[in-house]
Amino acid sequence: MSTTTTAASSIANEIQQEVMERKPFSIVAFLKNRWFLYAISLTAFFALWKYVDYTRVLGNGIAAPEKVVVAIYRLMIDTVAGKSLWGHTWASLNRILIGFAIASSIAVPLGILMALNRYVNAVVKPVFDLIKPMPPFAWISCAILWFGIDEPSKIFIIVVGTFVPCLLNSYMGIRLIEPQLYDVVRMLGGSRRDEILQVGFPAAFPAIFAGLQISLSIAWTCVLSAELVSARSGLGFIIIQGMQLARPDFVLAGMVVLAFWAWATTLIVTYLEKFLCPWKRETSLA
Amino acid sequence: MNATVEAAENRRVKIEVKDLTKSFGNLLVLDDISFNVAQGEFLSIVGPTGCGKTTFLNALSKLIPTTKGNIFIDGEEANPKKHNISFVFQEPTCMPWRTVRDNVAYGMEVKGFSKARLEERLRYILDLVGLTTTADLYPNQVSSSMEQRIAVARAFAVDPDLLLMDEPYGQLDVKLRYYLEDELVSLWKALKSTVIFVTHNIEEAVYVAERILVLSNKPTKIKAEVKVDLPRPRSLIDPKFVEIRKQVTELIRWW
Ligand SMILES: Nc1ncnc2c1ncn2[C@@H]1O[C@H](COP(=O)(O)OP(=O)(O)OP(=O)(O)O)[C@@H](O)[C@H]1O
Ligand SMILES: [Mg+2]
Repeated sequence: MSTTTTAASSIANEIQQEVMERKPFSIVAFLKNRWFLYAISLTAFFALWKYVDYTRVLGNGIAAPEKVVVAIYRLMIDTVAGKSLWGHTWASLNRILIGFAIASSIAVPLGILMALNRYVNAVVKPVFDLIKPMPPFAWISCAILWFGIDEPSKIFIIVVGTFVPCLLNSYMGIRLIEPQLYDVVRMLGGSRRDEILQVGFPAAFPAIFAGLQISLSIAWTCVLSAELVSARSGLGFIIIQGMQLARPDFVLAGMVVLAFWAWATTLIVTYLEKFLCPWKRETSLA
Repeated sequence: MNATVEAAENRRVKIEVKDLTKSFGNLLVLDDISFNVAQGEFLSIVGPTGCGKTTFLNALSKLIPTTKGNIFIDGEEANPKKHNISFVFQEPTCMPWRTVRDNVAYGMEVKGFSKARLEERLRYILDLVGLTTTADLYPNQVSSSMEQRIAVARAFAVDPDLLLMDEPYGQLDVKLRYYLEDELVSLWKALKSTVIFVTHNIEEAVYVAERILVLSNKPTKIKAEVKVDLPRPRSLIDPKFVEIRKQVTELIRWW
């Protein structure tokens, strides 16, 4: 048996290795260097921003980059409507977490159930298709009429907005599984339960996660929209306050902080997925 | 002639296929097929493309219902929940979320092997097919020929009463195919499984099998049965080997 083993492992020589190509240093290589180009791109962007502020082509509608940094710092120490920047960030984040949790905990199981059972699908799908094309923001007036201007209406908008991608991705995730993978379970004598638990869920997992990721970025759009319409807290509220006080540095500060948190929360989900689905090949998502 | 394996006629009948008929709507694919397979026999089935080889194996493994007829294992109607049937599909079917090791172990998990027995057998099988060094990789980190070997290892690992293989090496290059055919034969000898091996490569069939069933075009019947009574390891240029290969080729060229 040992002879087979050695022969076999020489054929089974499949360990993957990362190849690092080292090129000699040269001016051209330096100019083509990715990081160098990144630096150029960013420098040009900030220079243009500074220039637009300096020439006053937008009047008082814009603040210089360093003013925005100062504004962020000020907002962190001072309070607007009784809350510092941290408080407002938490207000927005809190709405997102609640809305996102409600939507995903209903939409993901429902999507899976629709994909697994055609009766559930036949009952839910027509209504879902009717609601699906509606932009979430279209609900805002209804939300205020039904839930008032407090937290529930904002959370409602987030739930409506994130529900659709959560459900669609879980549904497609189960539907697009190779039927042959189910055959593997069946030919080995596995039950329908084995098919769902051992093939259905793990195979659909990446798609479900993609849905969660899309939902999360939609949630940020939704919370902002809701806060711009009516709120006493949140990053959208800071932006609106800046506008009403004619303080472009506050507006931009709100935007920058919002972008940062939207990026950070998406990053968390990306890493969570990498941790939970280590079998997925690295795909670059710019 | 074959020293290690007793002649098939003298062995106990393991699998009985009786009047197996399958049609899809009006299309009659399998027409009243009957045959037996002996305990521990290596049976090869050759037939033209589209004649219903995959359909035939799907019916044997109960993945699809038959129109008429049945298959008996040890005299009992075949049932994947009760009998130990294993199937290597035409396309690789590894589970991407399981490592090579866990893929090979999957069948044993479904069959409810005890932990100790599973571990022991897993080590033995991984070693036998040379997957020990790659055991912790995921299927997308190995080439697709390796994936097919994983599927073969998974199928053998459950110690099946009946092992069905559907052109598992159809897509591989010749060198690797020869290698894997040898590996398959040694697995079969070591584990004493009953194997039905479907292919449309005649040379492959003659190389691995003890007996070959030649299928006709649709509606498919068994056209001929050829015994391959050659010692192993077989040589592709042995005059007797060439003679049998020609005989099977003639049978297929007939129509
Ligand atoms: N689910 C199905 N519904 C209708 N017709 C089918 C179905 N499955 C197979 N067939 C038909 O049965 C015939 C046999 O198909 P099968 O896949 O079994 O052939 P095969 O011998 O395995 O071919 P190959 O050598 O290409 O693998 C084909 O004509 C095919 O069109
Ligand atoms: Mg086929």
